[in-house]
Amino acid sequence: MSAPRTSPTLFGSAARILDLSLGQMLWSRRSVFLGLLLGMPVLIAAAIRTIDLMYRSGIDVNGVRVQGATIFGLMIWGLYIRFIVPVLGVFYGTSLIADEVDDKTITYLFTRPIPRSAVLLGKYLAYLVCTVLLVLPSVMIVFFLIVPTAGGSIAAAFPSLLKDFGMLAVGLAAYGAVFALVGTRIKRPLIVGLVFAFGWEPAVLLFPGYLKRLTVAYYMQALVTHDMPQDSAVSLLMQVFREVPSVATSLVALTVIVVAAVWAAGRAVEQKEYVLEQ
Amino acid sequence: MMTRTRYFVVASLLVLGVGVGSGLVAYYVGFPAGAFTRGDGPDELRFIPRDATVVAYADVADVMASEVRQKLHKAIPYEENGQREFQEQTGINIETDIDHLVACLNPDTSGSKQGAGMIVARGRFDEVKIEALMRQHGAHVEDYRSKRLVVADFSDHPTGFAVSFMEPGLVAVGSTNLVRTAIDLHQGGDNPQAGLASVTRNEELMNVVKTLESGNVWAVGRFDALASHANLPPGFAERLPAITWFSVSGHINGGIRGVIRAEARDDEAANNLRDVIRGFMALGKLQAGSNPQVQLMLQSLELGGQNKTVALSFVVPAEIFDAISTMAPKKRLPEKPEAEKKPGL
Repeated sequence: MSAPRTSPTLFGSAARILDLSLGQMLWSRRSVFLGLLLGMPVLIAAAIRTIDLMYRSGIDVNGVRVQGATIFGLMIWGLYIRFIVPVLGVFYGTSLIADEVDDKTITYLFTRPIPRSAVLLGKYLAYLVCTVLLVLPSVMIVFFLIVPTAGGSIAAAFPSLLKDFGMLAVGLAAYGAVFALVGTRIKRPLIVGLVFAFGWEPAVLLFPGYLKRLTVAYYMQALVTHDMPQDSAVSLLMQVFREVPSVATSLVALTVIVVAAVWAAGRAVEQKEYVLEQ
Repeated sequence: MMTRTRYFVVASLLVLGVGVGSGLVAYYVGFPAGAFTRGDGPDELRFIPRDATVVAYADVADVMASEVRQKLHKAIPYEENGQREFQEQTGINIETDIDHLVACLNPDTSGSKQGAGMIVARGRFDEVKIEALMRQHGAHVEDYRSKRLVVADFSDHPTGFAVSFMEPGLVAVGSTNLVRTAIDLHQGGDNPQAGLASVTRNEELMNVVKTLESGNVWAVGRFDALASHANLPPGFAERLPAITWFSVSGHINGGIRGVIRAEARDDEAANNLRDVIRGFMALGKLQAGSNPQVQLMLQSLELGGQNKTVALSFVVPAEIFDAISTMAPKKRLPEKPEAEKKPGL
């Protein structure tokens, strides 16, 4: 006589979905875009390093050689924090459930004997693993290419690299969770996500007041160890009204954002009736 | 998990592992110099003693030929006293004889609080004329490690002042002890076991020097060492920002572009210094009024740096020097006697 079957737990089910979704996510057409996006900083870094090695000219600002660590800091701000992390969050986060709906494959997942929220949680974890395993090596390669230019020291800059890793992982988790929620609740999640990431967040950060606390970027900037670049009037304005919360406050706030957004997204998936268009 | 997904995860973790491992080794053990970078600086640094608190470099030929220098020379046509005095004492014309120079300030072993200084210059020098001129001013010649050392004794400096031509086109001028050390370094090179080492062995200083190479003038030094030797008013030294290293680098041509960098004691001190500079920058922008040149200069100020480093870059546009030339009084050098003008008469 066989033992009675027990239904899998939420996390056990999520782990199975993670295993299934990671491969799908990595080898999808979207990954080509992800590869291009993350290859761009590496190519820029390689070009700067080549110029430095061949011509020893490096990058000059006002006629003075900029240290490698400073260029790396600018790339972390300008490419990763302001662009790549939000873009990855928008494109992957909003599509966690939406893609299954569009492909009409959501039924196969929802008919499994697992909690519906486990599907969302598993896909969210797959997104996190996929993006972290792509973004961090990209940052690592950029670090080793850029920091030694103009006499920069790997040893001196290394502690800040580890902080950058933590900050980027937390940022990917927070943006992914917020956009996963957007993807499960809103009909055109990609547009809303892009407006949030590149409209609402930069705009609100420009002005004094409490509204900036309703952004992910506000809490993320407290975790960045590099100086904010002052490359444009917008950056200067951001610098003037920059109000940075403490690291502890930021970490708590980002944890709350992740947990609350994933929980709310899970609830939405549990309750929502997905009508598949024929 | 599919095989190719597994490969991807392993490859990604491998890149991260190797990177973090290398970083940790660099952090705790340190890579040998040159593992990732090319260390340089002017060749003359090899003759500067290791304990230098300030090292400076100037591409004199470049600076003298610059538009800024020409404009200033036209605007303020007085003969620079220091330059004239130097030429009278040594016979070296800074404007025409020197290509580039490296200067240093070292703690004086004789106990003088003001320190000892030396300039190592490369250019074209008339050794016989210079030696004769110095002897006219009471200098005497010594032989030191088969080099001629022209020593002038000054009452205000216990170790005296010396000039030595270490090789054709290379002269060391400065405190006698430092010039002797420069000759030692020129003859024997670095020998740390014997207590003889050049500033190129000072890794901390050289790391700063490497970042300054693109400027045609630069200086780097230990701020705390300088402040402790300076005759500062009581209570003032305690209020100075906690800076360890400072550097100034600039490129002089049509205008002046440069950057002032300070290495603070810790992140907090660096943040305090940034706040102070931001305050001054804001005040400057308020005070700039309607003067477009000053506004342009203030707009060029850019505060940067990370962690303990604070950097302020600036541009002094060529227009500022035009404005100086219009403001400067049109006083000329005294007219030469008529007989000197017409040697034939």
